[in-house]
Amino acid sequence: MFFRKKQSERQFDSEVQYHLDRAAQSYIAQGMDPQEAHRRARLEFGGAAQIQEDLRDVHHPRWLADLRQDLVYAVRTLRRSPGFLISAVATLALGIGANTAIFSLIDAVMLRPLPVRDPSGLVQLARFTDTGGSRNVSYPLFEYFRDHLSSISGAFAEMPLVNTITLGGVEENVYGDAVSGEYYSVLGLAPAAGRLLGPQDDAGPSPVAVISYAYWKRRFGLDPAAIGKTFVADRTVLTIVGVEPPGFSSIAHGRTSDFTVPLFMTEQINGGSAAWRQRWDFNLLAMMARLKPGVTVTRANAELEALFDGWRNDKAATLSGDFLRKQLLKERAAALPAAAGLNGLRNEFFEPLAVLMCIVALVLLLACANLSGLLLARASSRQREVSIRRALGAGNGRLARQFLAESMLLAALGAIVGFALAQWFSRALIAMMANGDQLDLSVSPDWRILAFTGAISLLACVAAGLAPGLNAGRSNVNPALKQVRSGGHRRLGRALVVAQLCISMTLLIGASLFIRTLVKLYSVDTGIRTEGVFMFNINTKAPFPRARALAIQTAIVDRLQSMPGVLYASAAANLPISGSPWTQSVQVESYDFRPGEDDTVAFNAVAPKFFAVTALPLLLGRDFNERDAAGSKPVAIVSQSFVRSFFGGQSPLGRHVTSANVAYEIVGVVGDAKYGSLRAAMQKTMYIPWMQREGGRPTGYDYFARIAGGDPMRVAPAMERAIPEIDSALRLRLPRTYADAIDQSTLNERMMATLGGFFGLLALMVACLGIFGIMAFQVSRRINELGVRMALGATRVNIVALVLREVAMLLIPGCAAGCIAAACLTRFAKSMLFGVTPTDPIAFALAACALAAATLAAGFLPALRASRIHPMTALRHE
Amino acid sequence: MLVLKIVALEPVHGYGIAQRIQQISRDVLQVQQGSLYPALHRLEKRGWLKADWRESETGREAKFYSLTRVGRKQLEAETENWDRLAGAVALIMKTAE
Repeated sequence: MFFRKKQSERQFDSEVQYHLDRAAQSYIAQGMDPQEAHRRARLEFGGAAQIQEDLRDVHHPRWLADLRQDLVYAVRTLRRSPGFLISAVATLALGIGANTAIFSLIDAVMLRPLPVRDPSGLVQLARFTDTGGSRNVSYPLFEYFRDHLSSISGAFAEMPLVNTITLGGVEENVYGDAVSGEYYSVLGLAPAAGRLLGPQDDAGPSPVAVISYAYWKRRFGLDPAAIGKTFVADRTVLTIVGVEPPGFSSIAHGRTSDFTVPLFMTEQINGGSAAWRQRWDFNLLAMMARLKPGVTVTRANAELEALFDGWRNDKAATLSGDFLRKQLLKERAAALPAAAGLNGLRNEFFEPLAVLMCIVALVLLLACANLSGLLLARASSRQREVSIRRALGAGNGRLARQFLAESMLLAALGAIVGFALAQWFSRALIAMMANGDQLDLSVSPDWRILAFTGAISLLACVAAGLAPGLNAGRSNVNPALKQVRSGGHRRLGRALVVAQLCISMTLLIGASLFIRTLVKLYSVDTGIRTEGVFMFNINTKAPFPRARALAIQTAIVDRLQSMPGVLYASAAANLPISGSPWTQSVQVESYDFRPGEDDTVAFNAVAPKFFAVTALPLLLGRDFNERDAAGSKPVAIVSQSFVRSFFGGQSPLGRHVTSANVAYEIVGVVGDAKYGSLRAAMQKTMYIPWMQREGGRPTGYDYFARIAGGDPMRVAPAMERAIPEIDSALRLRLPRTYADAIDQSTLNERMMATLGGFFGLLALMVACLGIFGIMAFQVSRRINELGVRMALGATRVNIVALVLREVAMLLIPGCAAGCIAAACLTRFAKSMLFGVTPTDPIAFALAACALAAATLAAGFLPALRASRIHPMTALRHE
Repeated sequence: MLVLKIVALEPVHGYGIAQRIQQISRDVLQVQQGSLYPALHRLEKRGWLKADWRESETGREAKFYSLTRVGRKQLEAETENWDRLAGAVALIMKTAE
């Protein structure tokens, strides 16, 4: 390019030279003096430089040359001030990186289509209770939809599994799926090796499994000999018959599924009964279907709704309980677009991610305001240069473009660094969201992420560069050249600082709301004590005799009790907070339910000493003991709320509660405990002894113990060794403290508090830098005036107060605007808050205090400097 | 159009074109001779002219411009346009008399 340009210019020179020589010759021939002839020729030709310039325009369009020139110039000026370059790029990179990271997650969770054939034709057929909960369907409902819906060409049901399998003598925990026969044909997948599951596997017990490509690679190194290998899952021997195509793992983003088995096999693997297949109220399956070509989701939805209404009314007629019938009649069904898979992760993280997206957008805006301020300050120090350029004939547009080139370069650098940062940041976020479990999300850049980063970088560039550019355009040539300072950019500079304060205030308010939510959540009265409690579950790796199930359960608790340091050991089907109890309809002696009143209560099956471990106070009567076993008189302990609802002030001891044809005698009353989550309300709860519950299932209980002092986890290694001694088929699973288990239930709140706090602090820092910058600049600008004031008798305190007053002049409008903005925005996060309203005055006050303290501190340094100025030096300044 | 017309006769260099313009227009068109060159280059870039270096009548190397096929078509089109316009103007002038 450079070479070509040089060459074309050289050619042009000789072309012109030729013209001039010939012209001169012709004059000489006319008898002119040679020198005069050359002069005359050149005169007639015109300004060579001007023509050369015109010629360049012909070959290289003006704007392109200008752009190149601007960029080269920008590189040169930026290289001269590395401090500015680093801070500007860092600010932008942080803003762009945070936005890209959050967007990557939104992309991974909600936008990325499943790697299957024509994903847009997939719908999820879901059933909703009136509270919007549960999207699963029962097996009879699945069959009913599959066989009666005319808008679909095929459907399948799916249920996730976690299992310990033994393959080649090695035990491992794997995640899998149990699916009905049409799974792969509806998805349109072809095997990478062997065969996939088909309708023939639904006909009867078919002990086969398909493994994922990733598992094939990890475990077998893509060896075709994997086909035909067998492994043991619980009590069943399964044969690997095929491998899924690469890239596919499961129908829900974030969930790995290493092996897929026929739905029919779940009852074999999990040793359960076939009840789930017949009961229409066992809603365990996720259902997806493929629409017939040309059928819209809306039409399928309309058909599904009508179909479900009929089915639901039929089933409701068979129900005896008034309350349950009403609940059932409130249920509805819907066909949801499922190109991006099942909605699980989307439901869980949609709100946090949307709020986070708003937060990081504000951070980017803040970064832009900050950068804009920096550029403006630079512009004012380059005012003389700008004036000279303007005096030499540069137009407004040309000057603005020069500034834009600089911010474009900064934005490009920021985008590159930010993109790298985003990779790291999104991985950290995924680790956080995984919450100790595994979360298999792909955040590798796809075109959506690249386009997003490009777009926000461009926006950032324009937003940050426009203000200084336009401002430069406004400035006057004359005063600037004479070094008289004009006031135009100062107003803009102050406005930018106020904007930064406003954004910081908004972010700080958000952060304090989320932090207060977390604090409130953890200080809520749960009714129990969770510290110093160790807990675990168990897993079976091989069959064990059913008859021994109850004995095994007791043996595990006894073994736990015998460990050194254990005060009380017990077990429960559901632990308060981390577990949700099941509900059953009851009839209570001497209490008549009003028609339509909720006759269900929460049920929990517990071992003796459950109340001692959880520290739930026993208010009346006795705890369960070893004599409350199968065959003896059914007994129950009820919670305080239960007593309050059904017995008023009377003692419930000796009264009976009947449920599912069993009459339980109430033998005790305990305090209320929270179930489900920290946000839940106290429920009417009824505890029954685990030995009186139908059938033994050692894997269905959480075992836990209160440990005397020290780290509760110290019991774990000994217990891990002890479990297989009870039965060689048993393994200890998920050893953890109760506190950890509760932390898992507050993932979203912790995530929002951590990230909100992080970005709030970041915003605070950026705003402080902004304040510091503008105040330092103001002080240096007003040095003469300050000198005069001191000469006239102003004290140091006066001067400091003077400067700080100016900080306050910025702070107050910034704070006020931030409050208004926050009051508008926080409403949208209402459902994520707990114990605080979106306009919680304490949160607003906390944020205001933090911002005021930080900005006054940032303004104090320049103020101190101002107060140390010697009047004489100040007056001699300039 | 004038330049194209001149070049159409034979390959010619810049100085020659300038001379020719002056001759043909009998000094009516007084253009700054230098500004001819950007125009030539523009036409070359547009593909209507092509240029090559060869020996001139004085024995020195000079850049000779000649018409391309596209250029010739353009010339024809412009000539026709011009004729029509000129004819129309002439007609109006006559009728108005």
